[in-house]
Order: sequence, then structure tokens, then C-alpha cells
Amino acid sequence: MSMIDIKVAAVEQVTPLVKHFTFVKQDGSPFPAFSGGSHVVVSMNVAGRVHRNPYSLMGSPVDTGSYHISVRKQEQSRGGSVFMHESVEVGTSLQITYPVNLFSLAKKAHKHILIAGGIGITPFMSQLVDLNRLNSSFELHYAFRSPEHGAFATQLKTICNDKLHCYADSKGERLDLTALLSKQPLGTHVYVCGPNPMVVAVIETARNLGWPENHIHSEQFLSPGIGEPFKIQLAKSNIEVHVPAEMSMLEAIEAAGVEADYLCRGGVCGRCEVNVLESDGALLHHDHFLTDAEKASGKKIMPCVSRARCDRLVLDL
Amino acid sequence: MERGYWIRSKPVYTSLLWHEKATSHLVVAQSQGGMAVLKLFQLMHPKQAITVLYMPHAEADYSKTLIKVVPDGLQLLETEQEVLAKLDSVLHGMCMGMRLYIAGSEDFMWSVAKVANKFGIEDAGMMKELTGTLARPIYCVHCKATTHGVTTNIGECSGCGRMLFVRDHFSRKLGAYMGLMIDAESPGELPDIEEIYP
Ligand code: FES
Repeated sequence: MSMIDIKVAAVEQVTPLVKHFTFVKQDGSPFPAFSGGSHVVVSMNVAGRVHRNPYSLMGSPVDTGSYHISVRKQEQSRGGSVFMHESVEVGTSLQITYPVNLFSLAKKAHKHILIAGGIGITPFMSQLVDLNRLNSSFELHYAFRSPEHGAFATQLKTICNDKLHCYADSKGERLDLTALLSKQPLGTHVYVCGPNPMVVAVIETARNLGWPENHIHSEQFLSPGIGEPFKIQLAKSNIEVHVPAEMSMLEAIEAAGVEADYLCRGGVCGRCEVNVLESDGALLHHDHFLTDAEKASGKKIMPCVSRARCDRLVLDL
Repeated sequence: MERGYWIRSKPVYTSLLWHEKATSHLVVAQSQGGMAVLKLFQLMHPKQAITVLYMPHAEADYSKTLIKVVPDGLQLLETEQEVLAKLDSVLHGMCMGMRLYIAGSEDFMWSVAKVANKFGIEDAGMMKELTGTLARPIYCVHCKATTHGVTTNIGECSGCGRMLFVRDHFSRKLGAYMGLMIDAESPGELPDIEEIYP
């Protein structure tokens, strides 16, 4: 996968847990333009091991001079976000992928309802620029723990004015999804990005209120979990790869020098799908991509987030 | 028609079925489509708000039965123009959660769909049941006019009078099958015209 060499131009602590990074290209040339909702995968070298984490681009899609991402420090992370917080500073060199959009705005929508929880606000930051530019009808509903965790609330206020609705959990403010989604005009699309319970609640509420599936959009990148170590055989490359407890299968495959496809590294896009040629145990599917039937068939796996508990697992790679 | 060959752009129609989670229902039907509406009510009479717009036709008129089955939500209309105008005004007041069901000829269904599209209701958000006739709406790729109710393999364009070969390629945006001039090479030389969309 071709990468862009960047250097960090600015770092800002936005909330106690969120840092905002500004990237510029190493060679000073402009970045490619992107569409609102796109993400890039940041590749970082953490103590000799390559971590690749997806982050939404949150700047203006037309500003190609710099890219912006925000990273929430994950307490139980495998190191990527901690590295971004503790070791990345102005001047640090990193590599990123070209932007990919798995969370784009529906072009035919008459109105957009954006629902963000915490750091889930980031993909909407770039979409808002597009919505304002196109003069589209929208509402942004932004829920966070407490006012000090409401990253970007002030900035959003100036972009959205009265279209912004904030909900601080600490002040007992709650977003009533049923009330919100039961009185929207025809042609409305809803988008959600945030913690899992919130994403599930929005999807379920919209479905139960009769919203067609293609009017409901969500983005939720899973992070590869920590699990038991296991071994895999790569049939085409004819090698055996050890997957340690705190590495994903995809990372282990890459570390072994084998090129594998990916876009989201979070179990949603489907790009990394590989065929399972042989296995003698259980595949632990963690992705949101394969259907239940596909998961049960044991013939496919998404190595970016899924694992296995078996002695022998042969992949078509 | 070549065997085993399926054109992806061709719409697939189903039997109407209530959407379990809908918060209101809007049923629009014409002629034989009245039977599809009656079948729908045979399945269940939903508790949510229902609006039925029905246009009887010389070929089929289910108004009498429909009046009995749907006493409060039914509106009878005489022409397609009336149906479309009524649809437009009804849609203005509706919210997300409403589900749209359409039954009738392809011509009728796609005219209804076009109005619904204007309100941001996408194809996937409406259910369509083809009833009564296979007659096709044809879009002339030369003069851009749409000719309705074509039942033959070759039809005359209502806009420019060209003889059009009725293709299987369907445009959802135009709500019609593509029609191409058949005697462009040798004017006047036409293959046999046969009824294949009765
Ligand atoms: S890379 Fe997207 S599902 Fe694995």
C-alpha cells in the first residue's frame, strides 16, 4: 500500500484525554483533497513494532495544505494511542495512507441528522464543512461525559450555530433518540459515530421507527483485541506466522513481510477478507463485516480484528 | 431474448407486504393493483395510520370492495394526474417511518416513484407489485420523450414519431426502458411488430 510521508506541524491538548495533531507533507507539497467522513491509517513504529491505527480526518476537505486528526488516549490500548499521546511531538515523522471514505454523506438526502458520542465527533468535523458548503439541512447532536470532555464544542458552535445540540452526561442531559427520530421529514438520513452502546441504540431506534436500512449510517472501527497467541500457515507464501497475544493477525502477517490488503483495520470495510483453507479449531470472528452464515461456515476470516483458537489454521495468502 | 441472461438494470417486483416497523403506511394503486391492495389487507389490517390512493380503470375496478375494507384511509381518484397531485400533497405532511407501497402497471408505478423520489424516498424505501399488464414506458434516446404503455417489441415514439426498438435496459432515474430507432440504417424497413408485453 502506498503511503504518504508526513511530519507533525502542531499538537494541541484539546481535552484531558484528546490530542489534536496537524500533519504536513514531508516534501511540503499539498495533500490530496478528500470527502467528509474519510479516514487515514497512521503507521507508527512503537519500540520496533509497526502499529497502524485508523483516524478520521477532521479538517476541511478543501484544505490540502494540512491534515488534521484527533486521538483519544485509550487506557487499555495496545499502545498506538498512548504512543501518539506520549511520543509524538512537533517535528515527528510518520507515514499515513491515502484517505479512504467508508462513512460518506448520502448525496440524495434531504436532511442529515449527525449523532456523535465523545471522540466519535471527528468524522463529522469534515462532513460539517461539506454540509455548510452545500447549504444542506442538518442537525448535529453531540453527547459527551462532561463539559471538559466536550472536545471542539466551542469550535462547533461557530460552525453550526443553532444546529448544534450538546448533551453533557455529568449535567444529566440526555439525548432522547425516540423523540428525535420519530418526527423527521421524509428523506432524512441519520449518521452515528461513538461508543458501541450508542451506535447500537441509534441503529435499533431508527429501525424500530420504520427507517429504511439505507437511511441509517454508522461508523465504528473496532480495535483489534488482545487474545491468546496462536499460529497460522500462509499457503501461498509457504510460511508459518506466530500471532502474539497483543498483535492482530493482520499485523503479524505484515510483520512477517507478507503484503495484505486493508482499508479500515477495524473490521468494517471487508477489504482484508481472506479464505480459510484449513482449520482444526474455532475461528473467533470479531468483525462487523461477514454475515452470520459466513462466520459459521468457517471459510472466511477478517484478519484485522479476528483471531482463532486452534492448532492449525491455513490461510490463502 | 437470450436464455439465462439477466439484465441487472431490470427492476424486480415483489408481492406487497406490510413493513412490520413502519409508523404509517401509504398505499398507491391503479386498476388491477387494487387486487394487490386487497391481498395486503387480507394479511393484516395494521394499527398504524393508513392512507390508500386508488385509481380504478376500465380494465379493473376494486373500489367497492376497497371502500368496505379500508373505510377511513381510502381516497378514490380518477386520473393519474390526480393521483400524483394527491400523492404530492399527502407526502408533504409525512415523516420518516412512513412506508410506501405501490401496485399497478410499470408506467404507473414509476410515475409514483418519481414523485416519491422528490421527497427523498429512495427505490429501496418503496415496495412495488406489478399487476395487470407488462406494458412498458419507453424513453426515446433520440428526442428524450417518454412513450407510455408500449406492448410491442417495436413502438412509435410519441415525441418524434421514430420507430423505436424496445430494449431491456431500464433507467430508474427516468423510470423507463430505453428505446432506440430501429430503421436508422434503412428507413422504412421494419421487422415484424409483435405484441410481447401484453
Ligand atoms: S481491513 Fe477493513 S475489515 Fe479488515
